[in-house]
Amino acid sequence: MMHELAVTQEILSIVLAEAESNGAKRINKVRVKVGEMTAVVGDCVCFYFDIISRGTIAEGAEVEIENIPIEARCSACGKVYRASELDFLCPFCGGIGNLISGKELLVERIEIDQLGEGSGSKDP
Amino acid sequence: MEVKILRDVLATNEAIAKENERLFGEKKIFVLNLMASPGAGKTSFILRTIEGLRDDFKMAVVEGDIVSKVDAERIREQGVPAVQINTGGACHLDANMIKNSLALLDLDEIDFLIIENVGNLVCPAEFNLGETLRVMILSVPEGDDKPLKYPLMFTESHVLIVNKIDLLNQTDFDLERFKNVVRRLNSDMKVFELSCKSGEGVEDWIDWFKTRLISFRT
Repeated sequence: MMHELAVTQEILSIVLAEAESNGAKRINKVRVKVGEMTAVVGDCVCFYFDIISRGTIAEGAEVEIENIPIEARCSACGKVYRASELDFLCPFCGGIGNLISGKELLVERIEIDQLGEGSGSKDP
Repeated sequence: MEVKILRDVLATNEAIAKENERLFGEKKIFVLNLMASPGAGKTSFILRTIEGLRDDFKMAVVEGDIVSKVDAERIREQGVPAVQINTGGACHLDANMIKNSLALLDLDEIDFLIIENVGNLVCPAEFNLGETLRVMILSVPEGDDKPLKYPLMFTESHVLIVNKIDLLNQTDFDLERFKNVVRRLNSDMKVFELSCKSGEGVEDWIDWFKTRLISFRT
């Protein structure tokens, strides 16, 4: 899908800005959290990132996607449970569930080499 | 070295959506974000809505499409201002596209704005535009299994229009089963069953929407 491109561009710009403000000369790893309820396909993000990061300090960085499961809290009995993306109703009492996680789309952290630092782990 | 970031990827879009929302609030414009698959009847639904409300309200339409101006022209033929956004390949509208399109409309002359999103049940649900109400259309020929394939659209929308009910007896679409699945995903969703072609059921939608518009503006 095309929307992963827009999402990946946003990820790249967040990552580059953070790297710059931390004096990075190179980004080795990018960790992204993706909720299972979002329509974002992790593999597409990795694929686009490889392409659009070329020529930047993020070129060649490994993109690690952590999937966040869908969790809901029942509005009737208050229990928290793992919900399926197709059914939010409470498995204990049948009450209406309110999502508490699963819609995340976050850049969590990056691993960088700073200017003046020795060669990164990826360099021989 | 590790740098913690924890930043929402859609934050930029959310920030612009908030700006749009503020502007709509200032101008007292009710904004409807309309989402559906290609061919579900978005433009016909807009034309029906124009027809039902044109005597009482001033309206405008923002048309999102990958290319072409066909839809905007059909709206303008009704004497309603329409702006066409061609996304040039992108599968959804984002808040910034809406912000830019607003410059082409006279916001003091609008009571409600309909944004016709790009035909797609997947990603438009991810991008807030600053709207007041999210309405999705599902047409009978698409089948009653759609909530199982595109759950986010069903959880993010406030109103569901089941269009083309004149075709119900020619398909195996099971309306009760469908509404049951929808309720499990989104118990607050308001559902209207109608046919933009025959006009059946359109009045219920118009009456409900009119009430919403009046309470929004007072």
